[in-house]
Amino acid sequence: MGETEFYKANSVKEACDLLAQFGERATLLAGGTDLMVLVNRRQLIPEVLVYIGECGLNYIREEETGLVIGAATPHVEIVRSELVQKKAPLLAKVISTIGSPAIQNQGTIGGNLGNASPAADSAVALLALGASLKLVAAGWERTVPAADFFVGPGKTVLKPGEIIQEIIIPEEAAEYKWAFRKIGKRRADVCPTVSAAVAVKTENGRCKAARIALGSVAPTPLLSKKAPEMLVGKTVDAALIADVAKAVAEETDPIDDVRATAWYRRRASEALVKELLSQVIG
Amino acid sequence: MYTLELKVNGQPYKVEVKATANLLEVLRDKLGITSPKVGCETGDCGTCSVILNGKLVKSCLVNALTAQGAEVLTLEGLGRPGALHPLQQAFHEHYAAQCGFCTPGMIMAAKALLDENPQPTKEDVKHYLSGNLCRCTGYVKIVDAVMAAAEEMRR
Amino acid sequence: MALNVVGQRVKRYDGLAHVAGETKFVDDVIVPGMLWTKVFRSPVSKGTIKNIDTSAAEKVAGVAAVITGKDVPNNRYGWGGDQYVLNDTAVRYKGEPIAAVAAVDEDTAAEAVSLIKVDIEEETPVFDPLEAMKPDAPLVRPEGNVFMYGDRPFRAIVLGDVEAGFKEADLIVEGDYLHPWLEHAQLEPQTSLAVPDASGRLTVYTVSQALYLHLQSLCSVLQMPMNKVHYIGGTVGGGFGSKNDMHADHIAAVLALKTGRPVKWRWTREEEMLYSTAKGSWHMHFKDGVKKDGRIIARHVRSIHDSGAYVSLNAYVVDKHSFLVAGPYFIPNVYVQGYAVFTNKPPASSMRGFGITPATFAGEVQMDRIAEAVGIDPWEIRFINAFREGEHTATRRVLDSVALIEVMQTLAKTAGVQLPDRLMAMSSTQRR
Repeated sequence: MGETEFYKANSVKEACDLLAQFGERATLLAGGTDLMVLVNRRQLIPEVLVYIGECGLNYIREEETGLVIGAATPHVEIVRSELVQKKAPLLAKVISTIGSPAIQNQGTIGGNLGNASPAADSAVALLALGASLKLVAAGWERTVPAADFFVGPGKTVLKPGEIIQEIIIPEEAAEYKWAFRKIGKRRADVCPTVSAAVAVKTENGRCKAARIALGSVAPTPLLSKKAPEMLVGKTVDAALIADVAKAVAEETDPIDDVRATAWYRRRASEALVKELLSQVIG
Repeated sequence: MYTLELKVNGQPYKVEVKATANLLEVLRDKLGITSPKVGCETGDCGTCSVILNGKLVKSCLVNALTAQGAEVLTLEGLGRPGALHPLQQAFHEHYAAQCGFCTPGMIMAAKALLDENPQPTKEDVKHYLSGNLCRCTGYVKIVDAVMAAAEEMRR
Repeated sequence: MALNVVGQRVKRYDGLAHVAGETKFVDDVIVPGMLWTKVFRSPVSKGTIKNIDTSAAEKVAGVAAVITGKDVPNNRYGWGGDQYVLNDTAVRYKGEPIAAVAAVDEDTAAEAVSLIKVDIEEETPVFDPLEAMKPDAPLVRPEGNVFMYGDRPFRAIVLGDVEAGFKEADLIVEGDYLHPWLEHAQLEPQTSLAVPDASGRLTVYTVSQALYLHLQSLCSVLQMPMNKVHYIGGTVGGGFGSKNDMHADHIAAVLALKTGRPVKWRWTREEEMLYSTAKGSWHMHFKDGVKKDGRIIARHVRSIHDSGAYVSLNAYVVDKHSFLVAGPYFIPNVYVQGYAVFTNKPPASSMRGFGITPATFAGEVQMDRIAEAVGIDPWEIRFINAFREGEHTATRRVLDSVALIEVMQTLAKTAGVQLPDRLMAMSSTQRR
């Protein structure tokens, strides 16, 4: 077995060039909070590690497209950013529940997304916020909606050679009322059993736009298709909330695992959606 | 093997490490600094907590080569018997250490908290130590010790 | 006489070392030239070992030794003498150690373990103790699935005549209680360091909670006299009963003697959660005969303990449970049947009270049920039945210095519960 090689990228261009050079042999490393678990347990022995934690992807700024967050920005900086608090408070809230203070210092938003865990907290927030991801490679770049980014557990639309450069949250996200909750066995360092975020925009008592996202209830972080269909244009009352919660629970495709049964997850999804929708509309 | 240069507790070191090595194993196996413990190697227990460039980290999840040129503080560098840091003194006086295995990580997490927030509430302390497990379940005394140390340090 | 300790707050003797980071746990002892261990564990829950091939593992650069059962001087150990240091016949649980590697580092040892080939003829396991007790159940052990207490398949506690008591009773209250399998989750994993020296002595740094008993056990495995083994322990990073069984010292010691080099073995958290001893699960059935005035006059308890695959401390766990499951109450007729049942799981063993916490949990919920059934307050039902000075337990132990009533009175006051005067006036020294 050959020894793992290590390369530190000093710029986004260098990162892309290294990925182009090593192709599928390369494994990206940023904060390491997911990757090192696998490496420590010898579940993954990378051939080539490409470190992108210090390649200029640590930033939070306002652009024409909206709020832009560099992929290697650590969780703690997003949570403490006044800009994020103002433009996307849901994201700040959700990310504040990731891990524990140490993990907040270490983990990055791009890592949380690229790891593509169905439980990824930041994914749930970004789906509810209608965010998109800018992907970059040596020779091209493209932007994909967060809703299209996840393909399966650990799988994304990232092509060989591509990295997540930044996350873009549209300006209008600030107009949504929102709520988030996750259920887990511990308050810190927990992989959620079920999590849910709702973001709703109302006008004159009617729902104008709505997004409901859930974690740990499907092969990917789940954005409900039925919720906006059922809510938009309607005056939302308790009966409609109950119907939406039921419909969202039916959209889930959970599994039995060490954290909970599929049965529990479906029931918890319904209860969470009901609770959160009532909070933002009630 | 790669050359890693870093400072631990003010002392510069230069060691050869594998690209897959984590900071915890480098501290323990290469440098003989054993206060950070191996409790899980999955980032769940917090016994390996150290302060890296001023920030609290779980050293088992830090790829060692990403700490190139870094400054690391472990419990050994905080204070020695005879010249204990107020946190160490308070942990001793408030019986906050039982089996002692979580103690180094707990104290380093508490140190990072007080660096950021010298006037924490009990809730702040509980939140900041939430990534550190104590199976002897001595949490009440640990929180008491951190509060007492914070008060002592404000004097 | 001045009291220096009683009534004083005394600092922990090891407290300063703990807070200064100077305490040396076993893993903190680092010896030059030290080898690291990884173990090949059974991939199946039950099966017969046909062949073990370690040849590829031995060829890995950096591997100093690969051992199997034939390398162990005395391959049987454990509280029941029934466990294998390295099983070379028939495995009884998934994760049972079969071969061990000592190598220059953990990565190399893990790579070598991945190259070990073991041919096992898999057999049908049984995991549920209730299933394991059925006559046609697959056999976990050739002699049967239930631990024999002499000629009985259960620990019996017999006082008076329960059947007569049930006849005399005004009502019968029954209850079923379950207690789950639990891992100790102590923060320090099972760890051992064995250091041989030229004089033929072996120094072993251990996490043992039972130092002298494990010293005997280790010397038996190694077939060495006790004056050749220097066993160093006492600094334990949490035990909670998980370190009353020898998990690592025997294998590290055999590897150290085989290689002539220091050998460390530190379990991963995953190994700890999956394969170390645990608190076994319990099914407890209570049948109580009760008079209208709240007196319990007969109690039959049938407790079934999932002991996993080996005896370990389970016979004693069931003993202690059976002795105490009738509770701190005077019941003239008691019949307890405590079963230790084997299943194809890692051995259960001691954890925090050797079976008495499940007994107390079930017994006290049962007291609440009795209170509800006879229509008496849950506090009062306990005062009515509480032991008095000079009464005896289900095992006929005569009690002195009894203070249960006084403890409950103090507890009520502390909790701000207003008890009726007649309860507050009661005393453990009053006769019934």
